[in-house]
Amino acid sequence: MAPQSMFDGIKVIDFSHFVAGPHCTKMLAEHGADVIKIEPLNGDPARLLPMHKDGRSAFYVQHNLGKKSMSLDLTKPAAQKICHDLIKDADVVVENFSPGVMKRFNMDWASLKAINPNLVMCSISCFGQDGPLASLPGYDYIGQSYAGILDMNGEPDRAPVFADLTFGDVSSGTHAYAAIVAALFHRFRGGEGQHLDLCLQEILFSYHEMNVQLYDASAGAYTPKRAGATHGVAAPAGIFRCGERYLFVLALGAQWDKLAKTMGREDMLSDPRFADLAARRENKEAVNQAVQTWLDAIVDPDEALAILQDARIPSAPILSVPEVMEHPHTRARNMVRTVVDPVWGPLKIPRTPLRFSTFPDIPEQTAGFLGEHNHEILSDVLGYSAENIAVLEAEGVINSKQV
Amino acid sequence: MTRKHVLDGVKVLDFSHFVAGPHCTRLMAEAGAEVIKVEAQIGDAARHLPIIKEGRSGYFIQHNRGKKNLCLDLRTTEGQEICHELIKTVDVVIENFTPGVMKKFNMDWDAVSKINPDVIMCSISCLGQEGPLAKLPGFDYIGQAYSGILGMTGEADGYPALSGMAFGDISTGAHAYGAIVTALYHKAMGGGGQFLDIALLDCLFSYHEMNVQVYDASGGAQVPQRSGHQHAFVAPLGLFKCQEDYLIIVAIGAQWNNLIKLLGREDWADDPRFANPLVRNENRDEISAEIERWLSTVSDVTEAVRILVQENHVPAAPILSVPDVMAHPHMQQRGIVQTVKDRIFGEVKIPGAPLRYSQYPERLELQAPFLGEHNEEILREQLGYSPEKISALQASGVLSEKNV
Repeated sequence: MAPQSMFDGIKVIDFSHFVAGPHCTKMLAEHGADVIKIEPLNGDPARLLPMHKDGRSAFYVQHNLGKKSMSLDLTKPAAQKICHDLIKDADVVVENFSPGVMKRFNMDWASLKAINPNLVMCSISCFGQDGPLASLPGYDYIGQSYAGILDMNGEPDRAPVFADLTFGDVSSGTHAYAAIVAALFHRFRGGEGQHLDLCLQEILFSYHEMNVQLYDASAGAYTPKRAGATHGVAAPAGIFRCGERYLFVLALGAQWDKLAKTMGREDMLSDPRFADLAARRENKEAVNQAVQTWLDAIVDPDEALAILQDARIPSAPILSVPEVMEHPHTRARNMVRTVVDPVWGPLKIPRTPLRFSTFPDIPEQTAGFLGEHNHEILSDVLGYSAENIAVLEAEGVINSKQV
Repeated sequence: MTRKHVLDGVKVLDFSHFVAGPHCTRLMAEAGAEVIKVEAQIGDAARHLPIIKEGRSGYFIQHNRGKKNLCLDLRTTEGQEICHELIKTVDVVIENFTPGVMKKFNMDWDAVSKINPDVIMCSISCLGQEGPLAKLPGFDYIGQAYSGILGMTGEADGYPALSGMAFGDISTGAHAYGAIVTALYHKAMGGGGQFLDIALLDCLFSYHEMNVQVYDASGGAQVPQRSGHQHAFVAPLGLFKCQEDYLIIVAIGAQWNNLIKLLGREDWADDPRFANPLVRNENRDEISAEIERWLSTVSDVTEAVRILVQENHVPAAPILSVPDVMAHPHMQQRGIVQTVKDRIFGEVKIPGAPLRYSQYPERLELQAPFLGEHNEEILREQLGYSPEKISALQASGVLSEKNV
C-alpha cells in the first residue's frame, strides 16, 4: 500500500529553537512526520520576535507549523524521563543548542543511542560539535563572518554589508532535513541509527562555488574580495542603473555576442580587449560601462528589460520583497503561502520550496501554543494519569501558555 | 549488509551542468550513489571556468568528483536511445536545462515516466517549470533578483550589492538532494516514482525568514528594505568598525543586558525606547554610537571580539576574508577545507561537503571525470553494447571523448 504521506508514521522529537532547527522540523512536519516540539517553560525565544498580535509571534508561526508543543523544564529529572520515554519510540531527534547543552540534560548522542540504537539524531550548531570555536554563541551572521561570506558583500572600499535575511539558518535547516532523510533511507535499508553533526559555518563555506578553489589554485594570485554591484571575475555581470530602477545583467559566452549586437556595439566584438571571457575580465570596467551607457540611453527600465529578455540575455529587475509577493510569476507558482493562525488569522509566509508530484499540496497546519499538547502527549502517548500530570504541573516541570 | 555510504547502490543519471544540478549529484556521489553524468560534445560549460590548468578546470573538479562520464550527442536518435536504455536501469534522473529542453530530447517527465514508472526525476531550474518567467535564461543572481534577495543586500541609498558566491545554486542543489532522498525513501516504502520541480527562485524566497511575514502581518507598515550595515527590523544587529577592521554584533535576545552593562549603559534596561529589539531598532543610531564609542577604546578587532564573546557572552565575530577562513584553526581541525587530488590538476582545495554522518565519518576518495571517460565502460557493462556498435557510434559522432 502506498503511504499516505512522505513520512507517514515517522516520529520526531524536536528540541530546537529560533530558525535553523525549526525550519528542518517544519519541513519534516509538512511532509507528514509527527513532530513534538519540546520548549523550555518560557518558550522558544523565537516567540519574542516580531510581528506580535495578542502576544502571538507570527515569526514563530512561520517556522513551527504542524508541530505539537510540549513545554518542559529540562533541568528536572522528571522532564528528562519524559523525553527519554518519548525518544524510545521515536525515529528522529533534532536539536540546535550550543554543543554540550544536550549532555547536561542527559540527552547527548551517547545517552540517546543507548536508549534507542535506531535513532537518527541531528545536531545543528553554528560551528559544529568540536573544534576551537564550537562553544561560541552562534547566529546566522556569526557563521557568515567565519565562513568568509560577509567579507564578500559590499563595495570594495567600504564596509561590508549583509543581506537582511537568514539564508544560513534556513538553508542549514534544509541541509539537516536532507541528511536526516538520507539517514532514514539508510536505516530502512538495514543500516543503524546515527548522529548527524551539521553546522552553519561549514554549510555557508560550501557556498563558495568558486572562491576557495580560485584562491588555492592561483596560489594566492587571485584573492576573493567583495566587488560591490558588479561581479569580481566575470563581465558583464552585475547590477546596473536604469531610470529609477536597478537591473541585473549577465552575458557570458554566446550571450555576450547577442548583447553587444543588441547594444549596437558590434565594434566591441572585433576588439581584442573583449575577445573572450578572460579578456573581458581584464577590461571589466569598460565592458560594464558600455552596458551602463546603453541603459542610460534607454531610460525606461521596463523597455530595457523587454529588449534584453527578448534577446534571451540573462537579466532581471531588482525587486523589493513586496514586489516579489505581488509578481504574477510568484502568484502563478503559489510561492507565497497563506496560513490561517488561530490568533493572527490569515498570514503570508514563503512556501517551502520542495515540490513533489505525488504530494503537490502542503497540508493545512498551525503552530502550537506553548505547551498546548502537554496533556495529550503525556496521557495518550506515555499513558500518564491525570494525577501524575497534575503533580508535574504543580512542581513546575510542565506549563502552558496561550502564546 | 555493509554499505560504503548511505546512498550506496542508488543509481543516478545526471544531465545537469554548471553548479546547482552538479552540486546535488556531487552530494549524492559523496554519499555513495553511482552517478553517470551525461554531457554534450562541447562539455559542461563549467569546464571553461577558472582556474584552468592544462585545459582542466578546477571549478569543474569541485562540482563533479565521483561521477562517471558519458559524452554523447543528445540531438541524435542514437544518443537519445542510449539515454532511454539507461533510464530503465536508474533510480534517479536529474537535469537543470531551461524548461522545455528535455522535451526536445524526448526526455521530459511524460516520456521518462513511461520508460520507467518507478524513476524519480528532479528538474532544477532558476524560475520553475511553469509560470510567466519560467523560460527566461536563469542564473543564480537572476533568481536572487526575482526573489527579493538582491533588493535586500546593500546600503539603503546605494546600489544593491552582489554576494561574491553562488549561494543560490549551491543551496538549491542541497534542496534538490533533500527532495530526492525524500522521494527515494517514499519509493522504498512503496510509493513509486515521481517528478520533483525544484527552483532557485522558490529556495531563495524561502530564505526570507522574517521579511514576508513582517510585511504582511504589519499590514504593509513595515516594508523590508536593504539597510546596509544594520538589520532592517531588529537592533542591535549589524556591522561595526573597530580600528581598521569590521566585526558583527548580534545582541537581540538576553545578550542585550550583557551588552549595555559592558557599555556602561545599564540605565537603558528600564528605558522604554530600548524595551525590545523592534523599538530598539527605531533608536539604533544612539545604540550604534555607544558601541562605536566603546570600540574606539579597544586595541583591535580580535580583542573586541574576545571581550564581547568570552567576557560578556555577547555574540560577535570578526569579518574574515576567504583566505582567513581557509587558514583558521577551527576549519583545519574540522576538515572543512578539503584537499582533493586531481589526475591532471594535482592538489586543489575546495569546500568539503557539509553533511556529516556518524556511520561514515570518512569522505570517499573521488575523481572528477574527463569528458566521455566512461563512454565505453557504461555502454559495454551496463547496456551490453558490442565493441562494433560502440565504434560505429564513435565514428558517427554520437559519442566523443576528450581528456579535459
